[in-house]
Amino acid sequence: MADHSNCGCTRRDSLRSLLGASLVFPAILSDLLAADGPVSSDANPLAPKPPHFPPRAKRVIFLHMSGGVSHVDTFDPKPKLIADHGKTTAGGKYLSRPKWNFRPYGKSGTEISDLLPHIGECVDDLCVIRTMKNDHGDHFEATLGIHTGSVTFTRPSIGAWVSYGLGTFNQNLPSFMVLAPQLPYAGSQVWGSDFLPAVHQGTRIVPGPEPIPNLQPRAPSPEIQEMELGLIDFFNRRHLGERESDAALAGRIKSFETAFHMQKEGPQAFDLSKESDSTLKLYGLERGTTSGFGWQCLVARRLAERGVRFVELIDSGSNTNWDAHGDMQTCVPLAKNIDQPIAGLLKDLKSRGMLQDTLVVWTTEFGRTPFCAQPDAKGREHHARAYSSWLAGGGVKGGITHGQTDDYGIEVASDLMHIHDFHATILYLLGMDHTRLTFRHAGRDFRLTDVAGRVVKEIMV
Amino acid sequence: MAKLEAKGLQPAPAAGKRVLIRRATYDLTGLPPTPQEVEGFLADRSKQAFAKVVDRLLASPHYGERWGRHWLDVVRYADTAGDSADYPVPQAYLYRNYVIYSFNRDKPYNEFIHEQISGDLLPAKSDAEKWEHTVATGYLAIAKRFSVKPENYKYLTIDDTIDNLGKTFLGLSVACARCHDHKYDPIPSKDYYALYGILDSTRYPFAGSENINEQRDFVYRLPQEKVEASLKAYNDLLKPLDARLDQLEKEKTGLDKAGAGTDAALHPVVAHRTVEEIDKEIREIKKQRQKIRAEVPILEAAYAVAEGAPHDAPVLLRGDPAKQGEVVPRHFLQILGGQSLPRDDKSSGRLELAQWIADPKNPLSARVMVNRIWQNHFGRGIVATASDFGRRGKAPTHPELLDYLATRFVESGWSIKAMHRLIMLSRVYQLESDGPPENARIDPGNDLYWRFNRQRLDAESIRDAMLKVSGDLDPTVGTAHPFPPPAVWNWTQHNPFAAVYDTNRRSVYLMVQRSQRHPYLSVFDGADPNVSTAERTSSVTPLQALFVMNSEFIQERSERYAARLMDAEPNDARRLDLVFESAFARPPAPEEQQRALAYLSQSRKMLEAADVSPDRVTQESWASFLRAVLASNEFIYID
Repeated sequence: MADHSNCGCTRRDSLRSLLGASLVFPAILSDLLAADGPVSSDANPLAPKPPHFPPRAKRVIFLHMSGGVSHVDTFDPKPKLIADHGKTTAGGKYLSRPKWNFRPYGKSGTEISDLLPHIGECVDDLCVIRTMKNDHGDHFEATLGIHTGSVTFTRPSIGAWVSYGLGTFNQNLPSFMVLAPQLPYAGSQVWGSDFLPAVHQGTRIVPGPEPIPNLQPRAPSPEIQEMELGLIDFFNRRHLGERESDAALAGRIKSFETAFHMQKEGPQAFDLSKESDSTLKLYGLERGTTSGFGWQCLVARRLAERGVRFVELIDSGSNTNWDAHGDMQTCVPLAKNIDQPIAGLLKDLKSRGMLQDTLVVWTTEFGRTPFCAQPDAKGREHHARAYSSWLAGGGVKGGITHGQTDDYGIEVASDLMHIHDFHATILYLLGMDHTRLTFRHAGRDFRLTDVAGRVVKEIMV
Repeated sequence: MAKLEAKGLQPAPAAGKRVLIRRATYDLTGLPPTPQEVEGFLADRSKQAFAKVVDRLLASPHYGERWGRHWLDVVRYADTAGDSADYPVPQAYLYRNYVIYSFNRDKPYNEFIHEQISGDLLPAKSDAEKWEHTVATGYLAIAKRFSVKPENYKYLTIDDTIDNLGKTFLGLSVACARCHDHKYDPIPSKDYYALYGILDSTRYPFAGSENINEQRDFVYRLPQEKVEASLKAYNDLLKPLDARLDQLEKEKTGLDKAGAGTDAALHPVVAHRTVEEIDKEIREIKKQRQKIRAEVPILEAAYAVAEGAPHDAPVLLRGDPAKQGEVVPRHFLQILGGQSLPRDDKSSGRLELAQWIADPKNPLSARVMVNRIWQNHFGRGIVATASDFGRRGKAPTHPELLDYLATRFVESGWSIKAMHRLIMLSRVYQLESDGPPENARIDPGNDLYWRFNRQRLDAESIRDAMLKVSGDLDPTVGTAHPFPPPAVWNWTQHNPFAAVYDTNRRSVYLMVQRSQRHPYLSVFDGADPNVSTAERTSSVTPLQALFVMNSEFIQERSERYAARLMDAEPNDARRLDLVFESAFARPPAPEEQQRALAYLSQSRKMLEAADVSPDRVTQESWASFLRAVLASNEFIYID
């Protein structure tokens, strides 16, 4: 916006004169709201709410890898799978050795494959869960499963549940933000709120000039927009003044103030220009780029810093993802895309003292078969019976592994972590009892974990 | 009224005429009244003035677009199937339009039930009526499809049908009995599988899937012989290709097995070919098929059901199709009479099912529907859980009123429009939305209706009203969506169908998809087409505020509204009157007029300062003013 005009007055002058005429949006509604008494939770369903008990984590960064990451090629080393490569299983399939070597990292010595060396460096902060189990072997259903607990029926996403249960810290940004350059399997159902109020649904962020829809003012100039907001406010106050107090009307007046701040704060959250070179380097991010997982991870940290309750990152979409039926080598660029950025995120959170109350979740819809139908197959099929995920920060013990699969990584051998257990545990870390986080709908109380879910306290500090 | 007095509540005063006509017009048509309509109502001093307005609105073709949409919410209407590739269903709109048309014609509700469940089995007086009945069964056809291979998951689609059927017509969550006897209501699992048998005896159309990317089992308008005649040439070409495809798929499976060493000796031949070679041939044949398919004439067909092979279904233990229990004869829910099919019946049983539901002796059907009508007028039902009249639902606030309305409904010949008249001409509908402040302490939720509930417009009405006042609303009936032609369909789970089609028609005609929410509708609490929506929420969010502040849609509306104003009237004060009359159904107050004129002059200066060309400044300043009007609470809320 030019700071001069053909009438000879500066922008500041004209603003001042408008303020004099009281046409500008006041952007401070505390007087109005004070007159109405404190804002009830009716008026603001996103106000922070107390958890059921003291939480270990205050916020979540949820990393979802689309397509199904092979556990036996990343976080679940199986020496016997290497030794017995080519032998047939009881089901008549051929065992297929990991395509990458594993090596121990850190003090804990947890083994991680050469596919993810940077994440390997952070292993002492990770609790690697090797006994994940999902309820369906197809992408669409399993993606819904890991997000909503149901593989068949439409249900709210975990981010929407957390928003519903806890509200959010920053009223100028959505409570649940999803950085997803591509649409995942099951599309927007993945971050939907279903029967929960729509305010809890995920807001999809697409890298580019307008990460939040309609964030960019389109009015001919910022001053004109402020005038418009001032006029809206004038209309709305008059309208409210002529009526008995009404939480919805007052809430909507407030929503313009929030939107106005969001317009300012939103772009700041996405503006990486003030990040130092060393920070960018940590994430493997080149200055000026908005593509790739490095951008997503760094923005996630900035959103977490700003008090967004639940940030989800999806690395790819419903194609060109980890679904390596044909050739496991197609995972190399995908791993490269996420490896350094995730390590950077963990280190950055740690150095800022945020890791202790930020729960970082890394997961995928299922693993991949440790065996193949053909002896020389290069790819792997879907495998929901046992796979790996990890948690870090937010009250989780670092440098540990949880559960064991059998010798080949085919079945869970001990300490199962079904998706319901996974969800129950995440909610617990946030200070919520998964059996008490309910919503009455269609005649019964629904919850994220249906009628199951075990809180796995062993992995907590 | 007696209840009000007993609690010491004074009802609110009667609403003024401007408030009333705005309320009624949005309520029945989802659109604002025009200034002429408001004027006409004000000028009409007769006792029947409001009754005349109600009759005029009920006769408007826009009535069905509004009330049809309420129905489409409950039946979770979508233009796609919902499988992992979310196949588009270009013919689904026929059912949508059938619903709108039925509301406009005031089709008796019992007939409406019959047609949607068993239209194909009803006698028809003409070809047009037969077709209408066929299209009506789109209600069953639009049930959700599941997974990558919906062809293998019919039991889930049937479950979705039973779930919807129970909620929509009976206000019961019957689907709870899929895995176990209902925990709260007297619905045993056997009742569920009795209904299951009826639907399993029904042929559902197939919209296409990742593996079979074409429609099957749709119902053609032409008689079967004629259909076969016109498709014969193509089918003759396709048949050998399909046979070869089948053979190749088997060969591939055999190869997998042989490779696994289980029964290699049984498949000595296949060992000569690798999977890659077979895949190559499959691809080539599919290409040939595609070429032929592109030539196949598209015959008029409906996404509708037909009779399948009639049979009783077994109980599936814990809902698992692999664990079949006792076979249950098809019958109706025991709590509603448990009627069974005639002994010699050779049909699916849908005809009887529709009769059982629409039977005036069925205590639920009429009550559930009048409650929905009441709910959509007042923002809340007499039973607040409109799709759950069971034990876990909310008890009615006024049981006698519900009974009275249900009785009148049946007596009136199940006329929905008669219910609208009865309700809207009552005193309670015509109260102001603010009442004595003391009442709020005694009955803060307005359970006793001492005032009218203020309501936020729903997503469709907000958009339609904005189109209407800006002069851009295309009032015509929606037709088929511009989906890509079937010959190019190759949607998969990895590359699912996804599109947003723009239109200036009413929002009920927007294309709604199951796997991807419509970007506008989802922001303003539009219905989720995956599940039955008994009641819309009215959330207030900053993303909605951003939409009305900054979206391209608002930008266009305000520009066009301003241009229209420029053409209509040279004088700013009179323009202002027009704006207030069209947007708020009232003239501006002196204070508002003062403020508006000051705003226009200030914004002109600002626009000049922002280098807007002088010939555009006046129009732009109006556009700016109008953005605020469209964003205001008064525009979005109904008193």
